[in-house]
Amino acid sequence: MDGAVAGDRGQPTRTPGPLRLGGREFAPGQPLVMAIVNRTPDSFYRPGVTWDQVAAMDMVHVAVADGADIVDIGGVPAKPGPEVTVAEEIRRVVPFIERVRAAYPDLVISVDTWRHEPARAMCAAGADLINDTWSAWDPELAEVAAEFEVGLVCSHIGPLTPRTRPHRPAYADVVADVLDRVLLLTERALKAGVDADRIVIDPTHDFGKNTWQSLELTRRLAELTATGWPVLVSGSHKDFVGETLGASLDDRLAGTLATTALCAWLGARLFRAHDVRETRQALDMIATVKGDRPPARAVRGLA
Amino acid sequence: MIVAAALCPCPPLLARELTGHEEVLPELRDACAAAVARLLAAEPDVLVVVGPDDQTGTWPADGRLDFGAYAPALARRPAASEAPWPAQSTAAAAAARRPLLPLSLGMGALLLDEAGYAGPRAFQGIDAAATPDECRTLGRRLAATAPRTALLAMGDGSARRSTSAPGYLDERAAPFDLTVERAVREGDLAALASLDPALAADLLAIGRPAWQALAGAIMPSRVETDVLYCDAPLGVSYLVATLTPQ
Repeated sequence: MDGAVAGDRGQPTRTPGPLRLGGREFAPGQPLVMAIVNRTPDSFYRPGVTWDQVAAMDMVHVAVADGADIVDIGGVPAKPGPEVTVAEEIRRVVPFIERVRAAYPDLVISVDTWRHEPARAMCAAGADLINDTWSAWDPELAEVAAEFEVGLVCSHIGPLTPRTRPHRPAYADVVADVLDRVLLLTERALKAGVDADRIVIDPTHDFGKNTWQSLELTRRLAELTATGWPVLVSGSHKDFVGETLGASLDDRLAGTLATTALCAWLGARLFRAHDVRETRQALDMIATVKGDRPPARAVRGLA
Repeated sequence: MIVAAALCPCPPLLARELTGHEEVLPELRDACAAAVARLLAAEPDVLVVVGPDDQTGTWPADGRLDFGAYAPALARRPAASEAPWPAQSTAAAAAARRPLLPLSLGMGALLLDEAGYAGPRAFQGIDAAATPDECRTLGRRLAATAPRTALLAMGDGSARRSTSAPGYLDERAAPFDLTVERAVREGDLAALASLDPALAADLLAIGRPAWQALAGAIMPSRVETDVLYCDAPLGVSYLVATLTPQ
């Protein structure tokens, strides 16, 4: 609970400090790229591209080379579809985590899961962060995070249950609703014994939100970063980008990077991304404008 | 009397922080450090830095390079709400209160700081348009600063050495720089003293008045010289040399 104090919402806020994931420690001014590696045949963007285990490992190699700090591995698509049992999720993800861990002993491995049984197996296999996109639908996830001394993402999905789509979600104030939920979850996580330096909050664009609501969260992201908790933005190629630009699934990179840049400027620290190289460059650009990072090589006008 | 003298260029990129993550021209920085080290080895009573300025005049001895003029981020104090960046030590805070020098003298100050020189120093700006006679006269006066005076003359050769140079290509630039280099290699102070100010100005060779002051400070003594760096990798001619009066 070190550094956790009661904020105006009566829930814990923090003085921004280091984020600890695995054996790594990341300072507030250091934006992190979380590369998406799906072990699914049917995720929304480029479905099945890493269903093959060799292809998935190749993607990890490329992501690391392109500057990813974290890989986020998931075995169940967010969208509705055929059931993926606990056993099947474990079968898809756990052996792969073991391979990644063997190849990259220091790489931060995140797991995109919402059930405690697979989460437990994944942590045992070497995961460092539980990316609980479905907002503590299974409250035991926090206990797993505490038990394995790994990180936990506290997210917001409004009225949804896992793997469902929003249907007419309405909020008096979507940002307030997100804040209430994620701060409640941080409090629960702390009570469960999760290390405060390993907790991340995520407004969870598109989940339980229409496009207007995701845009509002983006515009007012500073209200989330002001809590002091590290903010994860997971907006890559999502529908709010597509609907905003009238862009099909394969035409959302510019919109994704614009959102990324804006959220980085407003203080988000983790960015879940399909396009690692482009995201890294966008984040490095923003970090350098802010003064958190030096230019790679500045000579123009200085000779 | 001059016991040791050196020439160093003054591109902002000599300041390590200004080039960002990557070190640019480390060999040039090393050469400058070596030249300054030789000045200090002569155990001078005072180290005088002379360099081109808007007008001729002296500057406070505790002056420093104006980083903020070239990289505002390096001079900006973090707002209270932001994460500490960079950590401000007491020494850094004290340095931040020192007066700001023009580039040529500020770069000299940086070189002295990096060499760990804590002895007496003086900064003399010289009008970029000063005549050769004015430069030599000033040089003689600087030589009389102390019984053992070391002189560091700051300034560059032509900035018109290539089409990608800051001042674009001027065909006269390379011969001009070669004239300067030969004069220094051969210890031919008279040749330095007779460089044409109009040509130097055309070629953006801002070192000219400082070199001529240095010539005036040493003449008529003979000098042994050592050229530590002479190249124009970025279209600007950089010359690093030491001159030891015999």
